[in-house]
Amino acid sequence: MTSTPFQDNATQPVVSLRRVSRIYGEGTGRVAALDGIDVDIHRGQFTAIMGPSGSGKSTLMNVAAGLDDATSGEVILAGAPLTHLDDDARTRLRRSEVGFIFQAFNLVPTLTARENILLPFELAGRTVTREQQQWIEHLIATLGLTERVGHRPSELSGGQQQRVAIARALASRPAIVFADEPTGNLDSRSSREVLTLLRTASREYGQTIAMVSHDPVAASYADRILVIADGHLVGDHGPLTPQQISELLIGFEVGAA
Amino acid sequence: MNHSSKGNLVLGSLRELGTVGLVAGLSGAYAAVLIMTSTVLAAMSEESGGSVGLMLGIVAGVFILIALYVGAIVIIGAVDTVISGRLRHIALLRLLGSRAKDLRVSVVRGTATVGALGALAGVVVGTVLTHATRAVLVARGTLPEADYPLVSSALVVAFWAIAVCAMCAGWLGSRGVLQVSPAAALSGTAAPVTASGRASLLRAVVAGIGIVGGFGVLAAGALAGESAPEAGFVLSFFGAAGASTGFLVGARLVIPSMVAAFSRLLGRDPASVVARRNALLDPLRTTRSTMGLVIGVTLVTTFASGMAALRASVDAWELDAEQRAEALQIMDVTTAVLVGIIVISSLIAAVGFVSTMSLTVIQRHREIGLLRTLGFTQRQVRTMITKESVALSVSAILFGTVLGIIYGTSAAQSLVGSQGSGFVWGVPWVSLAAIAVCGLVLVLLASRGPARRAIDIAPVEALRIEA
Repeated sequence: MTSTPFQDNATQPVVSLRRVSRIYGEGTGRVAALDGIDVDIHRGQFTAIMGPSGSGKSTLMNVAAGLDDATSGEVILAGAPLTHLDDDARTRLRRSEVGFIFQAFNLVPTLTARENILLPFELAGRTVTREQQQWIEHLIATLGLTERVGHRPSELSGGQQQRVAIARALASRPAIVFADEPTGNLDSRSSREVLTLLRTASREYGQTIAMVSHDPVAASYADRILVIADGHLVGDHGPLTPQQISELLIGFEVGAA
Repeated sequence: MNHSSKGNLVLGSLRELGTVGLVAGLSGAYAAVLIMTSTVLAAMSEESGGSVGLMLGIVAGVFILIALYVGAIVIIGAVDTVISGRLRHIALLRLLGSRAKDLRVSVVRGTATVGALGALAGVVVGTVLTHATRAVLVARGTLPEADYPLVSSALVVAFWAIAVCAMCAGWLGSRGVLQVSPAAALSGTAAPVTASGRASLLRAVVAGIGIVGGFGVLAAGALAGESAPEAGFVLSFFGAAGASTGFLVGARLVIPSMVAAFSRLLGRDPASVVARRNALLDPLRTTRSTMGLVIGVTLVTTFASGMAALRASVDAWELDAEQRAEALQIMDVTTAVLVGIIVISSLIAAVGFVSTMSLTVIQRHREIGLLRTLGFTQRQVRTMITKESVALSVSAILFGTVLGIIYGTSAAQSLVGSQGSGFVWGVPWVSLAAIAVCGLVLVLLASRGPARRAIDIAPVEALRIEA
C-alpha cells in the first residue's frame, strides 16, 4: 500500500465495497468475476482500475456504479447502500450522483452537443439553475467545445465526441465519474487530451473519477492504481510511470501462466 | 448455389418471420370467408332465379385487394424488423464471403415460404369456417337448402395473390441487407440503415399532383352527381384513388411532423420530449407504422361517413313514412356489414403496428440502455414508448378520419346529389367517436409488448461494445 498525495482520510470514501463477489452461472459453468473484493474509492481522487481482459475490472465498475448486482457483500455509493435499493431508487441515485464516460462515447445521435450535455438534467426533469448554467458554459469553454456545441455527434471527431461526453459527465457535479476505457476508440493525440482533461477535473475541481483501463499510458495519469486479476484485488499503488505499470502487469500475466 | 440452406443462414429460423405468417394467414382466412360467402349467396340467388354472383365476386375482390394492400405494407415493415435485428449476423456472413444479393434472395425466399404457408392455412381455416357457419344456418332454417359449392377456383387465385404479395413485400423490406457493410462485423457499430432524402423532391411533386388532381376529380364527381349519378360515382372513385395514392407517396413528408406536433401536446416531461424526438428520428419508420392505421381508419370512416350522408339525404327524398323507414333500415344493415368487413384490414394494421414498435425498441437498444444509465427509470421508459404510440395513433386517426369524411361524403353526393339540394356532409359523430376510441385502445394494447421489451433492457447494455 502506498499513500497518495490527494488522499483525505478525514472524509468518508465515495464508494465502498465490502467482501463483494459477483458470480455468473452455476455448477461447472460457475465463474467468479469478483471474488471477495474489499476496496474504497476516495473523494477527489483519480483512480485507475487495471487488469488483463476477463480480470473482472469492468464487473467491478458495473457493480460499484449500481448497474449490476453483487451476488454477495455490500456496496455503498455516495452514502447509500446499493444492496438495499430497488431499481427505481438506484436509477435516481445514478441520476444525481454518478456520471459516465464510455469507450464508444454514447452520445445520442439526434441531439446536438449542447443537448447531449444537458440530457441528464432533461432526463431528471430538472431545470438548470443559473449557477449550473455558468458551470456548463465554463466546461464547454475549458473543453474547447465553444464552436462545436451546435453540431451533432456525427459532425464531430472522436476526440471532440469524447470531450462532449466528459462535459455531460461533469455537468451535474456528480459524486463520482466512472470512465470505461475512455481512450479505447481514440488516436494517441486525442487520448492524451482526454486523459489530461480527466486529471485536471480531478485536481482543479476535486472531481472523483474511477477509470477502467488496460492501457498503462492511460493509467499513468491517475493518482492511484488498483490492479484486478481473476476477481481479486492484487495491487494498490500510487502514481506510477507507464513503464512501471507495464512491468507490473507483465508480472501478473507471467505469474498466472 | 443452394439458396434454401442460405435462407436459414440469414434468418436463423423461419420463426423469425412469424408476423409475416400471421398477416398472410389473416389475409388468407379473410379472403376465403369473403369468397365462400359470395359463392353461398350466389348459389342462393341462382336457386331463386337471380344473378348476383358476378357482382358479389367483384365486391369481394375489392375488399380482398384492400386487405392485400394493407398486408403488403405490414409485411414490408415486418421483414425490415427482422433484418434490423440481425444486422451484425448479416455483416458477419458478408465478411465470410457471402454476396449481399444472394443473402437478399434468401430473405425473399424465406418470406415467400412463410407467406405461402400462412396463406394456405388461412384459406383452409376460412373455407372451413364459412362452411361450418353455413351448415349451422341451414340447419336452423335461416338459409335455404341449396346446391352450395364446396370450393371455388377463386380460392386458388387468392392463395397465389397472397403468396406473391408476401414475396414482393419481402423484396421491398429486405433492402437493408444490401447496405450492411462487412466491416460492421468488426467494429460493432452495425448502424441501422436510414432512408436517403435524394428522391424527396420527385416524391413531393408526384404526391402533390396526386392529391391536387385527385381532389379536383373528386369535386368534379360530386358536381356531376347533380345530373348524372353513374358518371359521378366513377369520377369520385378515381378521384379518391388518385388522392390516396398521392397521400401514400407523400406520407413520409407530412406524417412525421404531424406526429411530432401531437406529441408536443402530450406534455413537457422528459419522457414526452424524448418520445417526440424519436418520431422525427426515422421518418420512414414513423410513417410506415402509421400508414396501416391511416388506411384502416380511412376505410372505416369512408363507409361510415358515406352511409351517414346517404341517410341524411333520405329526408329530402319523396317517400312516404313506410318507404322511408325501410330505406333507413336497409342503410343501417349495409353500414354494419360494410364496416364489419373492412375492420379486418384494421386488425392487420394493428399487427403491423406491433412489429414497427418492436423494431423501434430493437434499433434503440443501446440508446435505451444509455438513457437508463443516465437516470431514466423503468417507468419513464414505459411512458416514453406509450406516449410515442399515442402520438402515432392520434395522428393516424385524425388523418384517416378527415380523409374518410371527404371520400365518403363526396361518394354519397355523387350518387344521390341529383335527388336533393346542396351538399350534405356525412359526419356520423357516434361512429367517429367509436373509431377513435377503438383505434386508440388497439394501439395502446399493441404497444404493451414492445414497452415490456424496452423495460427489460439493462443499463449495462449501453456499456457493451458489441451492442
